Amino acid sequence: MSFNSEIAAATKFSEDELAKYVIEATREVFSTMVMMDPTDDYPLQEPITRFKCSITGMVGFAGTYSGVISIHCPVNLAMKITSNMLGVECDEVGEDLNDAIGEISNMLGGSVKQVLSKGGLDVKLSIPTVISGEDYTVNSLSDNDCVVIPFKVDDEQFIVGLILKKED
Amino acid sequence: MANILIVDDSSTMRKIISRSLRQAGLPIDEIYEAGDGIEGMAALSSGKTINLILSDINMPNMDGLEFVKAARASGNNTPIVMITTEGGEEIIKDAMDSGASSSIKKPFTPDQLQAVLGGML
Repeated sequence: MSFNSEIAAATKFSEDELAKYVIEATREVFSTMVMMDPTDDYPLQEPITRFKCSITGMVGFAGTYSGVISIHCPVNLAMKITSNMLGVECDEVGEDLNDAIGEISNMLGGSVKQVLSKGGLDVKLSIPTVISGEDYTVNSLSDNDCVVIPFKVDDEQFIVGLILKKED
Repeated sequence: MANILIVDDSSTMRKIISRSLRQAGLPIDEIYEAGDGIEGMAALSSGKTINLILSDINMPNMDGLEFVKAARASGNNTPIVMITTEGGEEIIKDAMDSGASSSIKKPFTPDQLQAVLGGML
């Protein structure tokens, strides 16, 4: 993975610095809202684009730069996350699961927006989009402009991806 | 004991806020919920006693800023605390200019809720 140098220059962050901020934002969201303490395994060794029995939450950026921040995790882990967030047991894919993963992506988007705004960029957030399925592929995670960070919690892995593109 | 109205389009977020309010140890009796500003206004005109309002900003139909303006235009002076993901100064300023009392940035801890809301209840 290599972060686009033009984007890095414009945001005033190197890939490693931006990755570090995404790691900190993710750990903050999980420690405060999910009561879990994931550990990162950055950098990603091999690209991951295919997900099985998983759920993905995404929030888009628009403005001077466009992009997407996304979280991808196995449904079993997503149920644990949702149960912790709500304080009640979640054992099925449904509204609670979708809302919880969407809300996490929303909070991650808000944190990243703060970093980009401090860099002088005008960025707005979309509402969250959540997808889930038995077997699906997220092609953007293989792009050179994408920072992908694997995390581990409860012996399971989830991934946070950030892609930014410069608008003409 | 106080009654609180949570205005947020995410049912999950409403549950999280409710759980965090209870964990914060605040003197709370009833917690009412509304899915957008329109439902929030309906709750305010329902005759229920509401001592504090927590409102999201980005919502469909009537967003948080519109809700604050509508509540104040109706003569309701209940403290309204905005809960925002973005935490941008401009959005916070807009909310405060519209009549909001304070703001909390997500993610938050029960202790942070206690710090902001404790003096309002």
